[in-house]
Amino acid sequence: MSSEASIAVPLEERVDQFVAWLFRDYKTIIPRGPKVINDSLLGNQYFSKHEVVVIDCPLLQRLKRIKQTGLVYHVFPSATHTRFEHSLGATTVAERCFHAIRDRARIELGEAVANEDRLSGDLALVRMATLLHDVGHGLCSHASEQIYALLSDLREFKRKPEFSRKDPGEILSYLIVRSPTFQNWFQEYVVEACDAPLRLDTVAALILGKHPEKDKHFLAQIVSSPYDADKLDYIARDSYYCGLALTVDLPRFYSMISVASWKGYRALVLRSYVPLEQILFSKMMLFGSVYHHQKVKCLDSMLRSIIQHMQQNPNRCAIQFPGTRVSFAEPVEYLYITDDEFFNQIQGLGDPYVQEMLSRFLRRNLFVRCLQISRRTVVNWNHYGRAMLMDLGDQPTKLDDLERKIYEQLPASARSVMNPRDVRLSIPDRPRIKTEDAVVQTSPGAEPEPIELFFPVGQWTDAYAHNKWSSYVYAPREQAVPVRDAAISVLANEVGLEIDAAKSDRACHPA
Amino acid sequence: MITQTRTEILPDHILSAILTLARRQANEERLVFRGHDYTLQEIFYALSRNPEYSLLQEFVFCESGPIPYSPALSDSVSKLQLSGLIGRENPDYERLFLNPAAEAFFDAVLAREFSPEARQQLEKIAADFYRRVTAS
Repeated sequence: MSSEASIAVPLEERVDQFVAWLFRDYKTIIPRGPKVINDSLLGNQYFSKHEVVVIDCPLLQRLKRIKQTGLVYHVFPSATHTRFEHSLGATTVAERCFHAIRDRARIELGEAVANEDRLSGDLALVRMATLLHDVGHGLCSHASEQIYALLSDLREFKRKPEFSRKDPGEILSYLIVRSPTFQNWFQEYVVEACDAPLRLDTVAALILGKHPEKDKHFLAQIVSSPYDADKLDYIARDSYYCGLALTVDLPRFYSMISVASWKGYRALVLRSYVPLEQILFSKMMLFGSVYHHQKVKCLDSMLRSIIQHMQQNPNRCAIQFPGTRVSFAEPVEYLYITDDEFFNQIQGLGDPYVQEMLSRFLRRNLFVRCLQISRRTVVNWNHYGRAMLMDLGDQPTKLDDLERKIYEQLPASARSVMNPRDVRLSIPDRPRIKTEDAVVQTSPGAEPEPIELFFPVGQWTDAYAHNKWSSYVYAPREQAVPVRDAAISVLANEVGLEIDAAKSDRACHPA
Repeated sequence: MITQTRTEILPDHILSAILTLARRQANEERLVFRGHDYTLQEIFYALSRNPEYSLLQEFVFCESGPIPYSPALSDSVSKLQLSGLIGRENPDYERLFLNPAAEAFFDAVLAREFSPEARQQLEKIAADFYRRVTAS
């Protein structure tokens, strides 16, 4: 699996191999009926019999072993919620959005805009798409997505128009749902055994934010849009499990959505932009407090160290599973292994570097930040070197080179006790809310208008990022001072940024 | 090396080059224009339809909804702002402007990334972009 030859196999085929591997020896059990599943946030959630079959299948069950917020639980201990409960929650939120739109359309348009049959209608399709929207997530969720997103064949996929709006995990979800193995299983156990004649092609299209019929475009927007069920659930869920008192007033949101004709499509519209403001602020708070927390970025960087080491030493570090082996050479390999399995399996590898890093994770002996690169610490912040620094986030080879240069700049005494991968430069991704087709219709019959005419969504996000964004250099605590000094020197020489060590030290305390 | 990466010019490099060349062609001291996301999406979608502008293929437009949308374009604008190459005027945030750092970045880094043919194409796109953005 991890040989370079496997990369010659098309991505779709490798995804199908993964699904076949996951379903090997799986005996599908058809439940007697529907189930009610209780959720800490949303309360009782009702799932039809055919949905229970999908929930019980290995694709969904593996999500129980993938934490929703990756390695965040090392910083916010209660953030141990998983992709599984989020998938169920998002499905419930999607139905509530659906019903809100249905009710409003009945009043305002006097018609049923969608079929609400739970077995075969539009509601069933929306629920199934939302239930499956995250099955393409792998090891530590977004923490590994940031690594495999830069592998070449996924980048090539992103160049196709239909995939250009989607994150790598969502592209993999789509490919899983479209895989012949899953299609066959779905046909036999969901469509036929449960008498739920759902078109899986439409389910897959919804995951990409597309519906084959233009007058049902709003259904795709419930699954994938600036205010989709995914976002509504994860913002509420992540903040709840991290213990942050953020508010997303879902009932208020439901009361503010409707549908309207717009440019030949029947699209989701907001009657007020206030709910979207709430989503925006909550998401920004999550970025500032959780996703971009300096220790979270440190953990992500350390995971990158281990994975890079395993990539470059496949003979010594590949993880063996029945019928396959994983060394993270290509995106699909990140699906084979979940969070718990990763940290359990690598214990068995004899590689000293992997053992040392594993020990750091298990004992929370993490790297420390030794240099902060931000508008507060960079003397010449208006220099174009900032653009060169940002580029490193999109060019992993250049990032590796720069990290190695910092390592090589260290005194011999420090180098002798460090691995080159112990120097980590983190370039956090930019927080973003894509406004795309977000429109406001102030009253029934009014012309829908872009959300930006009401409030500057993207610009507020950018202003927030401008003030809050920080890049950090991390290293083992004992070497923080020499790494700080080497990083200052290399960043000045390579990208022209002059960093005030004293100001950085006030944030980082390297000594 | 297993991690196969592309080392080609990034979409934000192309956007930065277009804006810089547009300012130089217009011979304005400061390039300022209405920079709503939907306006820029419309302009670049129209530009990308011109087969001569092959560099704009980097801005892949998804056409599955009411409006063609290029995440790469929106992301490039965000990245250039965070990089300090462009800014937005307060308090409306409607107007984008080019910072001097963009000019310096172009001269010191980007200019050598583009071949003479690519540079010629960028000049044409910049002129076309300026015409459209000032008319919007």
